[in-house]
Amino acid sequence: MELRMLKKVLAIIRKDTLLRFSSKAELLYFLVLPLFFTFLLAGGTQSGEGDNRIRLLIADQAGSPLSAQLIAALEASQTVRPDLLPLEQAKAEFDERRASTLLVIPPDFDLVRAQAGGVDLLLYQQPNNLNSLAAEQALLAAINQAAAALQTAQMATAEAESIQAFESEAARRLYSQDSLLAAQRLRDTAPERLVVERASTADSVEYDPAASSSAGQMITWVFIPLVGISAMFAYERQRGTLRRLLTTPTARATYLLGTITGQVLMALLQMALLLVFGIFVMKLNWGREPLGLALVLVPFALAAAALGTTLGTFIKSEGQANGLSIMIGMVFALLGGCWYPIELFPEFVRSAVKVLPTTWAMQGMLDLALRGGGPAEVLLEGGVLLGFALLFFAIGVWRFRYE
Amino acid sequence: MKKIMLIGFKDLTLAFRDRAALVLMLLAPFLLTVGLGFVTGRLSGSSGASGLSDIPVVLVNQDQEPLGDALVELFFSEELAGLVAPVAGADLAEARQLVDGDQAAAVVFIPQGFTRSIIPEVGSPALGEPGQGSALRIVIYVNPTRPTSAGVVQTIVEQFLARVEAGRIGGQVTVTQLITSGRIQPGQAEALGQEIGERQVSAGNATAIRLEKVSAGEAPMEFDILAYMAPGMALMFLMYTVSYGGRSILAERAQGTLPRLLVSPTSSAQVLGGKVLGIYLTGVAQLAVLILASTLLFRLQWGNPLGVAVLVLAAVFGASGWGMLLTAVARSPNQVASLGSALMLTFGILGGSFINLDALPGPIQWISRITPNAWGLDGFTSLALGGGLEQVALPVVALLVMGAVLFLIATLLFNRRSILER
Repeated sequence: MELRMLKKVLAIIRKDTLLRFSSKAELLYFLVLPLFFTFLLAGGTQSGEGDNRIRLLIADQAGSPLSAQLIAALEASQTVRPDLLPLEQAKAEFDERRASTLLVIPPDFDLVRAQAGGVDLLLYQQPNNLNSLAAEQALLAAINQAAAALQTAQMATAEAESIQAFESEAARRLYSQDSLLAAQRLRDTAPERLVVERASTADSVEYDPAASSSAGQMITWVFIPLVGISAMFAYERQRGTLRRLLTTPTARATYLLGTITGQVLMALLQMALLLVFGIFVMKLNWGREPLGLALVLVPFALAAAALGTTLGTFIKSEGQANGLSIMIGMVFALLGGCWYPIELFPEFVRSAVKVLPTTWAMQGMLDLALRGGGPAEVLLEGGVLLGFALLFFAIGVWRFRYE
Repeated sequence: MKKIMLIGFKDLTLAFRDRAALVLMLLAPFLLTVGLGFVTGRLSGSSGASGLSDIPVVLVNQDQEPLGDALVELFFSEELAGLVAPVAGADLAEARQLVDGDQAAAVVFIPQGFTRSIIPEVGSPALGEPGQGSALRIVIYVNPTRPTSAGVVQTIVEQFLARVEAGRIGGQVTVTQLITSGRIQPGQAEALGQEIGERQVSAGNATAIRLEKVSAGEAPMEFDILAYMAPGMALMFLMYTVSYGGRSILAERAQGTLPRLLVSPTSSAQVLGGKVLGIYLTGVAQLAVLILASTLLFRLQWGNPLGVAVLVLAAVFGASGWGMLLTAVARSPNQVASLGSALMLTFGILGGSFINLDALPGPIQWISRITPNAWGLDGFTSLALGGGLEQVALPVVALLVMGAVLFLIATLLFNRRSILER
């Protein structure tokens, strides 16, 4: 009895695989687009020879020691990567939106004018751009570093003058210069007063934000085709082939089990390929906890396939199913935190999206990738995803009709 | 001409009667725009350029001296209200557990003696004495799954420390210089140093170098982030619409309605013209509905109405060119659908609908120029920033040239494949 059922399930898996890959275009969704998106969004195309800091265009029209000092401070920044260009070229790149931020250092940017009354820098920013805001913060830090010494020198000179006037302007200038050098020296030798520790990350795990993008893309691109199972049902229903199954002794649960198992196996193959790509091309540490990965990804694939099955029982045409699967896939991925960190959503949305399987899958992947978690840490996520799978499967069996 | 119009309006009506098509033409871009509105804070009422607000941060202050207290006060200040939601914690281990359990974005731990490692008490070793290099450090314990929130907390602490450091150096340099020049006696140094240091800390950021911000806009006005997101999504799903129209040509051929049309006294050119007009009108109607809906529901300001209209017409023309090319190279309606969706997603990412183009490397930014999305987004951004027809001239010309070239290639391919022959 079990053997007969197994044979039926295998036959259904074979049929579905042939059906799905009958068009070569399916390979686009199975592998080409997922790899392309992962490569682009997870930083595989870093433009600065492995330097993934934000590119900050700088047009230095002063060429003064002060501008050099400022640029050196920016070079040392962990946030921005200064790119020095002539003004015209820098403006052209900025206008074409090829950089988020442009800093113009005007010709009068030097120590003498800064000490006399202050100097201005011009900052051009693309509107509402997070990179641009981060670059601004890094720039402010560098300015503070460069200007603090100047301010100290001004303050020391003014303090000295308030006690006893200088003999001449030259003496005043010399005093100010000495103070500036002393301030710079102290700043250079200032001790570190801040240490940043990352939470619950095992020593072997290197924090890598690209892992988050990679996980998000994997979930998105596995989710969309699995929800697209609904299109297979609609296709077969339209063609009348589902009706033919009425004439065979095949239970609804057996048919659905075969369909879901086949698609889940393909999804697991797809995920394995994406993980291998992540490990070897993107240099991500996905191989650290294979059991943990399985505990998240297998239930996720089951939940997504069961959701596709359930949708298939509601949708009438293949066109409807295709449209809905792409839309549901994209909306669930966005709201589940696959494209942008879920921390950016308001509290009520963060709570509401817990009803989505993508949220739990992403949470599990982040626990593994960023928190250095193991199988024990993702049991909750795996369990919830399995719950989704059972729920959707039950609805699917209940609602499923051959006609 | 009448026949072309009839065929065009027939296809437009069919597209808007197809509920499946409407899902991707209108519902999907609308829902994704709403989702992105939440991410960017536009629809969640948070200030700033992101949806970040009320970042949960735990402050464990074991210093209980002026500098530690000042940092705690900074987090509780009006200035940061809304951005951070600070909680004072007494126990470091408990605070860390909140981060481990994803209940907080970061813990800021100020160790006992932090203030005195920077401002020694009267009678203790003077400023600048050896041993200062082993200064006590503030520890920030960050939640790696909330990188943006943790980054904000880190920036706040760094800026505070920069001011403290400026005060310390200011006091030390001033006093040392005064002693060296004989203006004060060493005995006066300690009290004067502390007074100057505190004065410099409270003076805030240095003003010798000022930063003047220049907006990328044509006129100084506040930019609505949805004015980037909404056209981004609309342009992405416009690619679906044009491929949907192309699919209908092949579908009609497969179903036999196209040959029937061709045996009527209607020329191939009229049929093709009508189909193209149908695709074009559907695209224009799609963008018009999305623009109208976002204007009414989100009070989104798209900018100069004439500029918006011209840009919409040009963007749909450019995108329709891609739709026709796709139809000319595909062999079946299903192939157009698959390739069309793939093209929609690829152009979406290359054209800046998902991420800003500046985040992509140079060569990819060049390639993005083959997409109507990139040119369209350029234009819509300029208009939202207060630009007019002059500012969208380049995107409009680029889109028109793109459409013309693609239509020409598609027509040649149609002729070669004899798609529209009786």
